[in-house]
Amino acid sequence: MLIQILNGLVYGGLLYVLAVGLVLIFGLRRVVNFAHGSLFMIGAYVGYTVTAVAGFWAGLIASVCVLTAIGAALDRFVFRPLQDEDPIVTMLVTFGLLLVLEDAARTIWGKEFLTVQPPAILSGVVHLAGTSFPVYRLAVIGAAILVAGGLSLWLRFSRVGLYVRASSVDPLTTGMQGVDTDRLSAMVVAIGAGLAGLSGTISAPLVALSPSMGGSILIDSFVVVVTGGLGSFTGAFIAAMVIGQLHNLGVVFVPAAASMIPLVLMVLVLIWRPGGLVKAGA
Amino acid sequence: MIRIAVFLIAGAAGALLPNLFGSPLLLTLLTQAVISAILATGVGFLVRQNGLVSFGHAGFFGLGAYIVALSATNAWMPIGATLVVAILAPTVLALLLGAAMLRLGGVAFSMLTLAVAQAFYELALRWRSLANGDDGIAAQLPDRILGLDISVFQQAGSMFVVCWIVLVLVLFGLSVLIASPFGTLTLAIRENEERARFIGYGTIVPRAAIYALSAAIAALAGVLFALYNGFVTPNVLYWGLSGEALVMAVVGGTRAVWGPALGALLFFLLKNAAGDLTDHWPAIIGGTLIVVTVLLPRGASGTIAMLMQRMGVRTA
Repeated sequence: MLIQILNGLVYGGLLYVLAVGLVLIFGLRRVVNFAHGSLFMIGAYVGYTVTAVAGFWAGLIASVCVLTAIGAALDRFVFRPLQDEDPIVTMLVTFGLLLVLEDAARTIWGKEFLTVQPPAILSGVVHLAGTSFPVYRLAVIGAAILVAGGLSLWLRFSRVGLYVRASSVDPLTTGMQGVDTDRLSAMVVAIGAGLAGLSGTISAPLVALSPSMGGSILIDSFVVVVTGGLGSFTGAFIAAMVIGQLHNLGVVFVPAAASMIPLVLMVLVLIWRPGGLVKAGA
Repeated sequence: MIRIAVFLIAGAAGALLPNLFGSPLLLTLLTQAVISAILATGVGFLVRQNGLVSFGHAGFFGLGAYIVALSATNAWMPIGATLVVAILAPTVLALLLGAAMLRLGGVAFSMLTLAVAQAFYELALRWRSLANGDDGIAAQLPDRILGLDISVFQQAGSMFVVCWIVLVLVLFGLSVLIASPFGTLTLAIRENEERARFIGYGTIVPRAAIYALSAAIAALAGVLFALYNGFVTPNVLYWGLSGEALVMAVVGGTRAVWGPALGALLFFLLKNAAGDLTDHWPAIIGGTLIVVTVLLPRGASGTIAMLMQRMGVRTA
């Protein structure tokens, strides 16, 4: 049972790191990045390529850097020019990007499944309550806690974090108070994309890499973001943890219907609280 | 009266088409195009009446197709009942989902349409004992369907006529609906939901009804697809297909009811022209979606309408 809960934490952690990027971008630009799963996938592949040459840690750093740059470009060339359009226009464009990036990955890295080995220092297993558990998975949980903690502190105590939270509640008023929302947004989208890259790279040793690997986790992170209350960081955290557990239990006990469980939970939450678990900006 | 005449002529003209084109390959392509046109019409109608974008209409399309294939193969129901259930089940699902998801506003709604469809995709992929996973199901259809021989549905020449008539009927029904008080009410809700509520209308039920209707149209297309191909795979539920339908609707433009259908035709011409490039088909769809959304937001039908208006001004 402990093992199941830990596995749920691993998935929940990855899910949170991905979903928080969506929440950050939504807070500034009021759009949802449909290509976020593709950024996760590209992150995993960049990690794979660099790991093969220079080792896992270099791969991790390279992946975060590359994705941060992609994020900055995404804001500059997609979100900013389209900010006065209907959000639907931007969503259509990011959905188009999703299809393009998936195809690009298929062209560059091929359709076959690829695997990445965890770094030597994190390989092996630990013994917990009579069973064994991979060290790498514990490290993933640790990394997710670090990211979640770091982000919360940054949002809560730094000036930029204050701007980001303010903008999540009302971007227009935040702009009127003299915050340069364009610059802020470039930074925040870059961070969001970098986190997607991080999430992709650290999940690479846990899964098989394929161009469509971003699909199912993107869907789960959408469910997390909506269930948590669109634009809420705390809500996303709670929802990610719950859905991480449910997803894992589903995969173990009802593998055929596992994909339906988060949806059912979401519908129930929305009937109970139509706006999601927690208010935006909190 | 004029409307009925236009649709009668359109129906008859399409029915004559197979005689004009001798090429069986072209007919196969056109039949697929018309089935896609019905799906795209459902997607476009949702945009037109509700102002909402669905990234998951493949879910309803695929559900309709899978119900036909599963029910026919496992002999769950007679084929007539199967066809009814294959269209009604996705419709009811959309009505219930719509009632829950429509309270959230456009952005969250769009995210969830994608999530729902993708969940069904995973279900079809993983539930091997029911849906046979990636390999799909070869439907064992009965010899006679609704009094017609099965070959009517599986040969391009006759199936084209069947699909064309269905498409024309769908467009006719929608154009009647749009002109009705209910059509006007949904447009009012699209423009300003709060005001419509002030006047005293409930807004969730009409919006959910439009969503359910557009899902029914997608399921209808899925049923035709299953009858024509006799074979379904999880690809009929994949977001690539939702994306294709969306591209058709956006390329054709959603202001006119017939816009998405025109988009579907243009789409298939593009696909035909792409030839060797079809390996990179998803990227072409994605690229087209981006370009058209940004540069031609009215789509083909909107552009045609605009040009006609301009010419009218000049000649006047």
